[in-house]
Amino acid sequence: MSVTLTHDGAWRRGMDRLRRIVAACGGPAGCLGAAIVLALLVLAVFATWIAPHDPLRVSLPDQLLEPGGDFPFGTDQSGRDVLSRVIWASRASLAVAGVAVLIGLALGVTLGLSAGFFRGGWAEQAIMRLLDAVAAIPVLIWAIALVGIFGIREIEIGPFTFGNEVKLMLMLGLLYVPTLARITYTSAASESQANYVAARRLQGVPGWRIMLSDVLPNCLSPVIVQATLMLALGIIIEASVSFVGLGVQPPTPSWGNMLADARNYLLSGEWWLSVFPGAAISVTVIGFNLLGDGLRDRLDPRHALPTVAG
Amino acid sequence: MLVLILRRAGFSLFSLLVVSLILFALTRSIPDSPARIVLGDEATEEQIAQFEADHGLDRPVLVQYLAWLERLVLHGDLGRSFTTRLDMNAQVTETLPVTLELVCIGFVVALTISLVLGTLSALWRDSPVDYAARLLAVLGVSIPGFWPALVLVLALTVERDWFPPGGFVPLGEGLAEHLRSIALPCLCLSVFYMAVLTRMTRSSLLEVLGQDYMRTARAAGLSRPRVLLYGLRNALVPVVTIAGVSFGHMFGLALIIERVFNIGGMSRALLTAIQQRDYALVQAVVMMFTIIFVVANLIADLLNAWLNPRLAARAA
Repeated sequence: MSVTLTHDGAWRRGMDRLRRIVAACGGPAGCLGAAIVLALLVLAVFATWIAPHDPLRVSLPDQLLEPGGDFPFGTDQSGRDVLSRVIWASRASLAVAGVAVLIGLALGVTLGLSAGFFRGGWAEQAIMRLLDAVAAIPVLIWAIALVGIFGIREIEIGPFTFGNEVKLMLMLGLLYVPTLARITYTSAASESQANYVAARRLQGVPGWRIMLSDVLPNCLSPVIVQATLMLALGIIIEASVSFVGLGVQPPTPSWGNMLADARNYLLSGEWWLSVFPGAAISVTVIGFNLLGDGLRDRLDPRHALPTVAG
Repeated sequence: MLVLILRRAGFSLFSLLVVSLILFALTRSIPDSPARIVLGDEATEEQIAQFEADHGLDRPVLVQYLAWLERLVLHGDLGRSFTTRLDMNAQVTETLPVTLELVCIGFVVALTISLVLGTLSALWRDSPVDYAARLLAVLGVSIPGFWPALVLVLALTVERDWFPPGGFVPLGEGLAEHLRSIALPCLCLSVFYMAVLTRMTRSSLLEVLGQDYMRTARAAGLSRPRVLLYGLRNALVPVVTIAGVSFGHMFGLALIIERVFNIGGMSRALLTAIQQRDYALVQAVVMMFTIIFVVANLIADLLNAWLNPRLAARAA
């Protein structure tokens, strides 16, 4: 009897926990998004062990094999395993999208928060006017053009050598700043009018401490939502830039440069070269979008503006 | 209203100035001097210095910028490329119409379908139409435009012979062939924005339909279509904003789509310029796109002021 009870209790606790997790992601769709994102992170981090073959190993006898047997996604023009390349490519895509968003967050939140909190000065006006002006930049075109004219090369920073895609990370991160700063500014400006801020001031807490420990946490919800949607956008932009040959450079696999290779095999019918990397991009972006929408429903239901990519 | 137009136009001008200065500074900060790119590695220091003096590249960046701006604004002259010596105005007027046509058709298709679909989906909430529209919205924004392009090329041009697999047939060579050659590119271009705008129309109209003034209008005896018409007018404001932004962004996607379908629009000009490190041309192309982007946003702003004069009054 007692056994059944504990069992029943454990089961109910389990269900409660599950319900809380689902609610935290903003419903079943958001939860599916979170699951996709989590699975991708696992793939990217453990690619070495998960991928069945070496993504760079060229094997001419295995050229352009149809999916099946040893190669579930087929092989490419150099006999490399498409499945392994798709798995390894998640690293480049997530790294570019992730680092770009981090750069955008670091600069954008700092600017937006300080402009929104220390209001009324010329600095606020100057920062926000400039950021509004810079919002008139079509992101994808600027990313392609600027990453392009700096030339395709490896970049050495101190003892480390980075791939060509580092330029894309930096550029994309900077292009994200205006949007993130504007969003932070809007909530920081209204939060800093709140009574709790006035109360903290009366307690004699210095302004910068109120800003960081009280106002900042209350501004983060819309920023987190936007950042998640920007991850999705970053995946698409990385794929697009690599597709035109200016992002991740071969032989390092990225979904975009795999599609660029596939373009040469469209007319001869090797469908698996274009279908699998494209599907990988779409699943990833769906994951981030669902998670972002779910988080918005939960954290920030009033601002239902979709992001526009391109 | 006039004050508002002037204010908005003034701000657009200001933002073009800021953005063009940034663009100019960035293109001047590339590690290789254009002289080195044109003359090659064997060029001597003197030759490089001579080239830079001839092209005014030895002046301070701000002076160069002002000279460039003066030519562009007063004479509409984008200048000549350093590497090919070609007149860039000619290159832009040759390639821009192709891209412009693709984007305009794609934009009209996306806007029309999304307005109809978004409205129906808000009116018939939780009906099959609504589910279809929402599915389209999620899938559409998640698929990079060039992937369906590749798959469509596979399915409709290689397997069946419905469309040409690529290339651009000018209007002069027959209307039917021209339309056949741009049908798939335009479709691929519009899917993403169709999804974005459908979603925006749906959520914005749903919000308006739930407002008290809509119920009041019905109670006052206005017919259903009439009430809907008023509702739409209010609901359109955010849609117009996003549509303006989308129009500008579509040129970015068009670059990729043109490459898939092998169409010689601005993308070829830009990518060739990048390959040849012809940064004056890159700068010219990017500037053109940025101007289009800013003007599209300005038009959207003014359209909104007309749709909802209260918003305009508050802004002015």
